[in-house]
Amino acid sequence: MSEATTAKHPRSFLERHHHLLRRLHSLTGIVPIGVFLISHLLTNGSVVWGLLDSRKAEYGHAGVATFQHEVDFIHSIPFLFFIELSLWGAIAFHSILGFYYAKTGITNTGSYSFGGNWRYRLQRITGYIGILFIVYHVGTLRWNWTFLTPGGTAWSAEFAGSTMAQILRGSPSELTVAGVAVTAGYLLGVTSLVFHFANGLWTAAITWGLTISQAAQRRWGYACAGLGAGLMVMGWAAVIGFATLDPAEAKATEQKFRLKEQREAEKIGEVIDRERNRVSAIDAPR
Amino acid sequence: MSTATKLDPAAAQRAANRKSAKAGRTVIFRVKRCEGPGKPSRWEEFKVPVPPGANVISCLQHIAANPVTTQGARTTPVVWDSGCLEEVCGACTMVINGRVRQSCSALIDDYAPQEGDVMVLEPMSKFPVVRDLWVDRSRLFHNLQRVKAWVPIDGTYDLGSGPIESPASQGTRYKLSECMSCGCCLEACPQFNLEEDKAAWDTSFIGAHAISQARLFNEHATGAILKDERLDALMGQGGINDCGNAQNCVKVCPKHIPLTESIAAMGRAVTIHGIKKFFRGE
Repeated sequence: MSEATTAKHPRSFLERHHHLLRRLHSLTGIVPIGVFLISHLLTNGSVVWGLLDSRKAEYGHAGVATFQHEVDFIHSIPFLFFIELSLWGAIAFHSILGFYYAKTGITNTGSYSFGGNWRYRLQRITGYIGILFIVYHVGTLRWNWTFLTPGGTAWSAEFAGSTMAQILRGSPSELTVAGVAVTAGYLLGVTSLVFHFANGLWTAAITWGLTISQAAQRRWGYACAGLGAGLMVMGWAAVIGFATLDPAEAKATEQKFRLKEQREAEKIGEVIDRERNRVSAIDAPR
Repeated sequence: MSTATKLDPAAAQRAANRKSAKAGRTVIFRVKRCEGPGKPSRWEEFKVPVPPGANVISCLQHIAANPVTTQGARTTPVVWDSGCLEEVCGACTMVINGRVRQSCSALIDDYAPQEGDVMVLEPMSKFPVVRDLWVDRSRLFHNLQRVKAWVPIDGTYDLGSGPIESPASQGTRYKLSECMSCGCCLEACPQFNLEEDKAAWDTSFIGAHAISQARLFNEHATGAILKDERLDALMGQGGINDCGNAQNCVKVCPKHIPLTESIAAMGRAVTIHGIKKFFRGE
């Protein structure tokens, strides 16, 4: 039995740390990747939910201004690069191990077409699609692989909404065939990743032993489906929201927003200078 | 019955078929045949007159008595494994019309109600074929050994009377104890696949039946002596972490054992065991 075989061959790293690696694989899918996915889709959805913010309407497109505000906030986070690095690390770990684990199974939805079996299969398919999408998405928007964007458009954090619209539409003016392809790819990628996360959250509760009875698993299933539906709406809203923007109008909004921000910063600077002068005038020896 | 048909459209179809079954019909049996381990397999068809209430085993007995194919060629009798003939031993498990189940309880009326309907019989695909429909399920029993699925009572002295069991625990455990090691949960599992190399058995997926049996014996007051050893076995490669949560096991279990609940319960036990081990520094 086990004694005989353990003595036979030296156990590999993967075998010795099997439990830890499996559970880290499960955990990284939720923290940080899943948590990031939620915040990322909420941020991107701001191009649509930002329209509800009437204070942003003065800049032009309230959604574009809200999104720019969100992007500026993210770029103000200290040590952002290390946050990015931890995400890249987690995604690489989760996807490489996930690919290796997926290879241990052979799908059989043909004979056993149960819902759970389909989710098992879709979890693997969406994992493959999802990682391809993430590499394309991060490569083109973060690492500037402009050879993969239509018209070689580079995404800019300063003009976040307008450059995104240009990439999804394929050109600064009208919607092109390449634009439709990129938009369709984004919709597929976002749909895959949201499903993968929601279903993964459901199975993780079984893996860790949080939901034991079938009733508990069903209840948690409704919660995960609800979360998934919400994220799906947010993700689709973001993609369709950007793809239907007028890049020129979006750019005008961003310029106006930037100008206003700068003016406000200058105003604050002026106030600070004035106060400083006043204080030094008081302190100055007579 | 009513809840089963509600949940599974295939079960509802079978119930409808049974009502419309024609008397005095002939059914075609398409059987996947194999002359021995490592030998190639082939298909053979047999015409079988179906009396009312016939099951797959009684039809296989007819084929054994008249081993002549639909083309009129004389062939060897089809070999199958069976024991109790009342769905409690698990020996006659095979794949019938694409789904795994016991052949003794598979009524022809459920599957082939009309003249000339076809029944497809295949051996389970996750175990090596011995001959025709007979497979070698040794790995299934080996996996029960991996989790020490027993109560250790061997000793040189009187162990006294057994522990007192609460009705609640008895209720949970009685259902788990109904497992007959038939292999349905393994045949339907996408994570449990054919492994002919015995050396790889200890690191290949253990399967729902063994996880559920580990739970059965961990929850037994005397059996719990081996609790940590069972959890160690489940933590390793091919253990509970290799479950992919497709949940086919619970759908095909002929005894309706809550296998996915057992997997979740043992998942929790392994989580706690792993954390304890981490901080104990083992």
